[in-house]
Amino acid sequence: MSTLKDKPLSNGCGSQPVTPPSSDTADIKAPLELHACMGLNACKGHDRFGSNSCAGAGYCATETHVCHTLNNCAGQGGCGLFGDGAEQCKPGANDCSWQGSCATPIQAERFSTLGANKDKSVWLLARELFEQRMKKARRNVAEAPFSAGPPQAWLSSFGEYDSCGNSGDKSCSFGFNSPAENTQELVDRSRDELPKTLKNCACDDKD
Amino acid sequence: MQTHFLKSGITDITPDNMKEALQQAIEIEIATLPTYLSTYYSINRTPKQPALTAEFTERLLAQGLTEQQAATQAQEFSAKIMVFANKAGANVMSVLVEEMLHMSLAANVKQAMFGDPELIGKSPSVWPAYLAGHEPPFAINRAKLSHEQLATFLKIESPERLKARTVKVGAIPYYTIGEFYQGIEDCIRDHYRDDKDYHADRAQLIPDRGYYAQNNIDTIYYNKEHKPVYENSADAGNLIHVVDQASALKALETIVEQGEGADCDFDDKSHNELAHYYKFKQLQDELKAITLAFKKQFGDEMQVDKYFIHNIKDNANTTDYPPAIASVSTLTNAVYSYLFIMSQGCYHADEHTQFEIFMFGIHKTMLWILSSLCGEMTNFTYLGADGKQYAATATYEEYQFSSASSPKTQIIALFNQAVGAYKGIAYIEQRIHDLPDVSQAGFLEKSNTPLMA
Repeated sequence: MSTLKDKPLSNGCGSQPVTPPSSDTADIKAPLELHACMGLNACKGHDRFGSNSCAGAGYCATETHVCHTLNNCAGQGGCGLFGDGAEQCKPGANDCSWQGSCATPIQAERFSTLGANKDKSVWLLARELFEQRMKKARRNVAEAPFSAGPPQAWLSSFGEYDSCGNSGDKSCSFGFNSPAENTQELVDRSRDELPKTLKNCACDDKD
Repeated sequence: MQTHFLKSGITDITPDNMKEALQQAIEIEIATLPTYLSTYYSINRTPKQPALTAEFTERLLAQGLTEQQAATQAQEFSAKIMVFANKAGANVMSVLVEEMLHMSLAANVKQAMFGDPELIGKSPSVWPAYLAGHEPPFAINRAKLSHEQLATFLKIESPERLKARTVKVGAIPYYTIGEFYQGIEDCIRDHYRDDKDYHADRAQLIPDRGYYAQNNIDTIYYNKEHKPVYENSADAGNLIHVVDQASALKALETIVEQGEGADCDFDDKSHNELAHYYKFKQLQDELKAITLAFKKQFGDEMQVDKYFIHNIKDNANTTDYPPAIASVSTLTNAVYSYLFIMSQGCYHADEHTQFEIFMFGIHKTMLWILSSLCGEMTNFTYLGADGKQYAATATYEEYQFSSASSPKTQIIALFNQAVGAYKGIAYIEQRIHDLPDVSQAGFLEKSNTPLMA
């Protein structure tokens, strides 16, 4: 289970990391490793900006594919949204090209639509699977800049951010809710249920 | 061949016409797709709420409400539209994915029992269309969301016989789709008990390969508090590998349970998902309620559907459109038709080839090519022959591919023509080039050409 602690205001929309990188796209480096999102990089200097100091501390996805079946390599699937229950249990951990379930980067507000992680945070599951992979490789992992993944509003600050599907913005209000509170509820509930989610994902995989 | 009703009214299906009945079942399922698709893409699921709120505030102020009252009520009215429009889309999409499942289940049964399920060129070519064999016949339109269109959907999915005079129809007759399937099931129970009647070695679309997902982001909507609501239940049905009598019956029962309901109004054990008939009835009631609520507040002239339904013309054809729109429409029809070529190819492919066709061809086409093109089409407007302005829409006319080159090659050529006329579709170029190259006939075991080249 993830042992990360929330930073203040880290899960709502529009909050900023403590030391945000430059949003100048000219600073984006040629990727050393293709991965699905913030906090899922295996090595120093492997984030989108080439500036992170440690595994798991990178700022952004190096892969920018749009959606389900459009990724070119293993480990690039953002997940959630489309795909069957088994696929949606493996965000950022798909075995092969074009098997990634959905778009990268994975915003904090994204939830799975099917399987053991249904209605729960995609990024938290992706981070947990990443930490498990790093543990097997005997690697230390630093905290991610946002402990529940990059908020959509923060991603949008780098330019247009679009996630898949016709049902609309995942971080939104019709005037009767706070998007930040909805996201916080999603994150809290997902974190509480993560052990059960992992267990059920493993069961589904055996089936 | 016996194609009459028994005294009970159940269609008399025997070993003599069983193969024909299963092919008819496949074509009934395919016939529902264009009408549900056209209605789905007539819905703008995400209208611009600030513009709605501003307009309603102005109208309410004109009625004498205070600024505070007007702002509060306008927010309520705009939220009603935001939730309903998205729910209507999720509702229709949730049925659409299950209709595609039904096509596959019926094809699996035919493949196991007789082989060669035919999927290509089976979409209705004339509109209004009619369900093959349905008594009485009734017209089905490719049309926008409306009370009338939902009434047609209810006829399609009705668990009860329609009250109208029957006429002699060409195909095997039936009163409801459920009764038609019951006739097939009875025949299977009586005459196809032996495992040797089922060829499990033939390729089928089977579970646990990632082909079918009960829910996706398009089958959900957000409630007033912007919490996701799921239209489909995870236990409402899945692909079934047909290997014997029991699995054949289970596949057919799944189709009827999802369409008409099995346990009260529901199609799942957890009672989380209404069957298609009851989903559409609920949507029709809610459309009526929101229409009345807006008329009550804003007057009889208020047509709430204008805020979230594209004004598409019933049964529009590509030939109705000016050249630029027609080129995108033709490409859309070719892509739609290629889905059936790929689907039929799946029944003739080895396991890995089938997986590549399905995941990288069918999924990619449905989600990121056809969906994009259908959405782009509704952004066009044109003048109809009646002089009125309409939104364009995809027409789901099956494209006749030439035998001179592969369908994919022809789709690329059609894309090049279409993008020349409308650069707004340039972003799908790579997706089209990444499609597998599936031939129309002869199929895959006879080809040495790599699909994913």
